[in-house]
Amino acid sequence: MSRQLRNRLFLLVSSGAVLLCTAILLFLFSVITWNGINALSPSFLLTASRSFGAEGGIFYQILGSLLMVLTAALICLPLALGAAIYKSEYLKNARLQKASAILIYGLNGIPSVIFGIFGLILFVNILNTGISWFVGAIILAIMMLPTVVLATFQAMNSIPEIYRESARALGLNHWQVVTGVLLPQGFAGAITGLLLGLARAIGETAPIMFIATAFSGIEIPHALNEPVTALPTHILALAQQATDPRALQNAWGASFVLIGLVTLFSITGLISRTKFKTVSQR
Amino acid sequence: MNATAPLKIYQPEATSAIEMRDFNAWFAEAHILRDIRLSFRENRITCLVGPSGSGKSTLIRSINRINDDVGNYNCSGEIRLSNQNILASGNDVAKLRTRVGMVFQKPCVFPTTIAGNVLFGIRHLQKLSRPEKQTIVEENLKAAALWKEVKHRLQDKASSLSLGQQQRLCIARTLAVKPEIILFDEPTASLDPLSSRAIEDLMLSLKEKYTIVFVSHNIQQARRVADDLAFLCAGKLIEYGSSQQLFSNPTQEKTRKYLNEEFCDC
Repeated sequence: MSRQLRNRLFLLVSSGAVLLCTAILLFLFSVITWNGINALSPSFLLTASRSFGAEGGIFYQILGSLLMVLTAALICLPLALGAAIYKSEYLKNARLQKASAILIYGLNGIPSVIFGIFGLILFVNILNTGISWFVGAIILAIMMLPTVVLATFQAMNSIPEIYRESARALGLNHWQVVTGVLLPQGFAGAITGLLLGLARAIGETAPIMFIATAFSGIEIPHALNEPVTALPTHILALAQQATDPRALQNAWGASFVLIGLVTLFSITGLISRTKFKTVSQR
Repeated sequence: MNATAPLKIYQPEATSAIEMRDFNAWFAEAHILRDIRLSFRENRITCLVGPSGSGKSTLIRSINRINDDVGNYNCSGEIRLSNQNILASGNDVAKLRTRVGMVFQKPCVFPTTIAGNVLFGIRHLQKLSRPEKQTIVEENLKAAALWKEVKHRLQDKASSLSLGQQQRLCIARTLAVKPEIILFDEPTASLDPLSSRAIEDLMLSLKEKYTIVFVSHNIQQARRVADDLAFLCAGKLIEYGSSQQLFSNPTQEKTRKYLNEEFCDC
């Protein structure tokens, strides 16, 4: 096979792969939009669900999901910054560096249902917290942690050494270099990672269904140890249990809103990453 | 001139700001600097010249101990500043670096404003009121001959300046910390001839207040700027003396060849 033919074949295969991925994504979006957009209305977004989801809207599900993921972000951010700073600035041993990378990637690869089971055993069974939205936020924070740590670490690592040296040459000690040079740029990376982590976390069902959510009868939680209703578990319940076509229509509508939130977080994350790259490449 | 003549130790008349005694430096197993004995005169410009790999940058970077942060670096001997050995264990390295400022080869401005860059070092070292900040910014930009060019855009991003202006901003930032000595590691290497001349003029004006040590690959630049000259080759100090003497009457054949820009085999 000539070199030219091999090049063309490779181009064909890689273009085909891109087209296939795009087509699947577009198909998914189209189906959800086609079926879900009819359910969408101000009252659907702003009222509580009734009759086991067949009537009313998804207001408290949106609120519950946002409450959990935003709390998860608040828990995750300081932990991720600390871990990334330690990995970037203080962990100099090559073996430990490698081990930490394996652990972080390993944590990222754990199936989400395992997090749910872990939360159920540790918090609900052993610590007796009961079904709690805050426990759900903690579990989601742990799930988001690797994404945020890696994004922050990569942001800090991409800062040219000359910035650190210039700061040290001005008489800044190690901690001042960390806070004055690394954190401002690393923070932008952390925010990017956080938004991408949020995009993943808000759509997760398995980690929260055992420990944090209830299907109905819940509005705004008044304590840390109360459950919430959330979009993914609401969709799951509607799709599995509802025989009423109106409930199914609402499931499509809720899916459309969920996809919209995921897309919003993802696009904001990608925009912030592009903006951050521009800053670090100056 | 004798190629094998023993090196006379240069005894400068002016007071020494820094003295290096039997200084050796290694990176892992590589012996980079060997038994260096040097005195840098106060309020003079000393230029370190020599071929690539002769140890000039290692030497200058040892004076503010910035090499300490590089892996596998090791050194022995003494570097005396105000009659104290700065290499002694327990010395506050961060404090030393406020006394010995450094300007690097490539201008490195922080991703903040022009004024923010001038204040970058000093604001980490002491609390400053708003009027104090304004005074520091103005004084040091004037000292770095940059004030006239940037006084109306102090809040602009520092990265919007030209490379030559950025290098002068780095000098202003270094001056703001109030060092006694300033180290310049090939400060004009990445600049055009006009910007290079501006930095040279700046160094000449700064020597009234500061002791300056600078590394240069440019022999003509060394001739224009340096009061004293130290020629290094393969980690050894080959010759050290006043610039005038080394250019007109070097005692070592290697020095003559290098300063005449001939091939010099170390």
